[in-house]
Amino acid sequence: MNSKFSKLLKGSAMLATLSLLGACGSDDADTGENSEGTEGSVDELSVWIMGDGNEQAQGIFDAYTEETGIDINLQSIPWSSAHDRLLTAVASGEGPDVVQMGSSYMAEFTDAGALADLTEYVESNDALSADKFYEGNINTTEIDGSYYGIPWYTETRALYYRTDLLEEVGYPEGPSTWEELYDASMQLSERGEDMYGFDINFQEQTFGFMFARQNGSELITEDGEAVLNEPEFVEAIEYLKQFTDNGASPSQDLGLELSQTFGGDGVVPMFISGPWSMTNINNETTDIEGKWSVRTLPEGPENNMSNTGGANLSVWSSSENVEEAVDLIEHMTSTESLLTYYENTSSLPARMETWEEEPFQDELIQVFGEQLESSEHMPVIEEWASISQSYLSTFESIMIGGADTQEALDNFNAEVQSMLD
Amino acid sequence: MINVDKKTKLVIGIVLAVWGAMTIVPFFWMILAAFKTNAEIVAVDQNLLPEQWTFENFSILFERLNFDVYFINTVIITVLSFIGLFLNAMAGFAFAHYDFKGKEFLFLMVLATMMIPGQVTMIPVYLILNQIGLTNTYLGIVLPSLTSAFGIFLFRQFFSSISEEFFEAARLDGASEFYVFFRVALPLSTPILAVQGILTFIGGWNSFLWPLIIANDQRYYTLSVGLQLLQGQHASNHALQMAGAAFMVIPILIIFIALQKYILTGFDISGGK
Amino acid sequence: MKSKKAPYFFIAPALFLLLVFSIIPIFLALFISFTDMSLAGLADYSRVSFIGMENYSTIINDQVFIKSIQNTLFYVVFGVPLVILFSMTIAILIKLGDNKFFSMMRVVFYSPSITNIVAVALVWTFLFNPSQHIGLLNQFLAWFGVGPVGWLTDTDISKISLGILAVWRAIGINMLIFSAALQSIPDSMYEAAELDGANRWQQIWRITIPQLKFSTFFVVVTTIIGWLQFFEEPFVMTDGGPLNSTISVALFIYRNGFQLNNFGYAAAGSLLLFIAIIIATLVQFRIQKIDNK
Repeated sequence: MNSKFSKLLKGSAMLATLSLLGACGSDDADTGENSEGTEGSVDELSVWIMGDGNEQAQGIFDAYTEETGIDINLQSIPWSSAHDRLLTAVASGEGPDVVQMGSSYMAEFTDAGALADLTEYVESNDALSADKFYEGNINTTEIDGSYYGIPWYTETRALYYRTDLLEEVGYPEGPSTWEELYDASMQLSERGEDMYGFDINFQEQTFGFMFARQNGSELITEDGEAVLNEPEFVEAIEYLKQFTDNGASPSQDLGLELSQTFGGDGVVPMFISGPWSMTNINNETTDIEGKWSVRTLPEGPENNMSNTGGANLSVWSSSENVEEAVDLIEHMTSTESLLTYYENTSSLPARMETWEEEPFQDELIQVFGEQLESSEHMPVIEEWASISQSYLSTFESIMIGGADTQEALDNFNAEVQSMLD
Repeated sequence: MINVDKKTKLVIGIVLAVWGAMTIVPFFWMILAAFKTNAEIVAVDQNLLPEQWTFENFSILFERLNFDVYFINTVIITVLSFIGLFLNAMAGFAFAHYDFKGKEFLFLMVLATMMIPGQVTMIPVYLILNQIGLTNTYLGIVLPSLTSAFGIFLFRQFFSSISEEFFEAARLDGASEFYVFFRVALPLSTPILAVQGILTFIGGWNSFLWPLIIANDQRYYTLSVGLQLLQGQHASNHALQMAGAAFMVIPILIIFIALQKYILTGFDISGGK
Repeated sequence: MKSKKAPYFFIAPALFLLLVFSIIPIFLALFISFTDMSLAGLADYSRVSFIGMENYSTIINDQVFIKSIQNTLFYVVFGVPLVILFSMTIAILIKLGDNKFFSMMRVVFYSPSITNIVAVALVWTFLFNPSQHIGLLNQFLAWFGVGPVGWLTDTDISKISLGILAVWRAIGINMLIFSAALQSIPDSMYEAAELDGANRWQQIWRITIPQLKFSTFFVVVTTIIGWLQFFEEPFVMTDGGPLNSTISVALFIYRNGFQLNNFGYAAAGSLLLFIAIIIATLVQFRIQKIDNK
């Protein structure tokens, strides 16, 4: 039986070696189901959509199948596992033809060679041309001069506020500058114990960066130098720190849902968020109907730049049907499809001309449209995920941990610089 | 068992009831939340009972989930995972009742598998399955979690507490080792088999990671994956999730109550079958 | 009389699966821990380079990693004894009652294990809410003029809060294991003790608890292993915050490996955790052996 066991061991060791070697060479191996179609014609394209794809986009795909006769093999991936699932696809080299990529994933997956270069299509196909989309979104698809995706939907953040409460402190239209934001917040926090003015989000990875940009910070210069301890950045953090220091913002996560902080008495009557919060308020916070609104971000010393997010559509590098996949992307990013998608998910189109359509003439939606004109994505570099993580702990240590702002940001800057080098 | 008089029993009952009530609140909350609107779940004023009972969550859930497909997959995977139960029992029996070369080492190896954090093995395991061509198959979904060191260890602990005499008697009658295992050892182990059965069922029923990663096609998704799909990028409809969770827990409760009987049967050592 | 081959047949299938899906991955992880494997390296192995012990030398100086070790040790020291004490107590109490009502209590105490994690997070976030008007625990404390306590927001208390939550979740399964073991204690032992004039406490101390030795050992070993891998509670409740006061080693590994793609670094962390768990387990086996002699 000893020999049996050693055989077993040998077999498994071989298996492991094989799997390592095999994975090495799998790049040029055929990619399973994608290659089933006969030359020239494809009968099926595989698509990965985050969240419930059937709910969101089935109609869009049905229309495509009807038009072209190509079936769509749709696979929905839960948001919470999207990154993990993409990792395994990178590891095996086997991905779908068309994949939804969160804009913040673009840099790392492009660097890993997971996405196909779509530059020739962007340049030759007028419908996919870069000038058709918001610049903040196009910037997430363009890496080192090549395009690796087509913008699908966009997000930007604006200021939500309670009109009734803001009117009481003299800002019926909401605060329009940093000074006004602070003044309004201070007044509102004086309504009583456990009452605040403005929400400083400790978990949001872009919060401090967004304010720093409004104060003229470049974050990272074109030469790849981090400037996160320069006065522009430090002042912005100091500005935010006054809010928690003086009780204008909660200094801890209240552990509450939006309906509990924004609804009712308005414990926190101002916060910054994307368009998705409108749906939340409309559905769940019915007690404040007509008592809230959205406006563009208050103007900082330099600008009122917001943060762009959203998702792009890309083609996996192993796809053998790039041309057909791009055709599907063109269909998915057409105005007609984007309208369907908006109806199902409230996601705002990244294609500018779609904004002329009726649903986007809504007053509040227009605010986001306006904000998109002054909105940029976080730097599209593969280190950004690590930088964000480091930012969160630095920001937290300054805001509630009592760390010295300049000192903490000096350390943060050094850490970021070492990641960049 | 120890004789307990009525009064003591009452005191124990009250202690357990109070303690139990505190324990089960989140479970009840989950069930009741399935009948609330999402607005009520996130409202400032919280009540355990729904203000207005609604079945809408369930109807949306059944319309939206590819429920039939996910349900069948979940059942298949759960049934397949019971193979692992027997493999664990066999291994646990061998570790408890035989002396063989390398036993200590092999058992430590089994234990060692319990100790590596699951996140680390995910990608290597995926690559191995991909290489043997098991992606997009039920087999690929169940294999990685079929056997568990926890299960083997639990069986070993249990079988160790059974006296060797039981098995010797059978062997003297000329029974084969497999007969000893299936006809003598397994029937003796009903309490632990029931515990393991419950765990295996729950594990299979809730399987999430491998159905998601091994599948290249939604055809292989389970209920858990379907439930996760309901979660939005920024905000979630808790009511819908709770309806799904409440529905998924029903079979688990049934299995639990059914198998609990076997935990109670035990066996009578003094009788010396 | 026992066959020499039989045990190998019995263990072969299970061992084979564990070998392929656990042991080999461990060696792969060991290998990866000496490299700078990242997402790009995963796609193209030519972009992976050997960096020797660098991951290890960096990680032992990583303040967050050290913090995560301290927290994890706290969870183990705080949680494991409580889990064992509570689950054994409940199992014995239920057994003492021995009727329909008491067996129903088994389902009740097992319920946390089958409650959806999203529900768990929502309910406990609500219980732990820092406000005296909203948080149930703080409302309760307010009756006694205590608080409000920042259950999840105070860096000194957050660990304890997550510990409480984890104990609540862990009782069920261990209670079941003890329950099953209680069935194997023959009634005759109690009858004999009763004839000798032992009262109920003495019977529990002298018969029940010693008879549960095997299961206790099992529960101690598996609970310690489980708690050294403490992950889900901080993951859903606090994401390791505030100020890393609740981050565990497993969460640290997850964050570096899966969120930041530093697979080499994460593998080094997990290997260190792996070694720590092996040592802890070996120590317990040694103690058990000494006990038996």
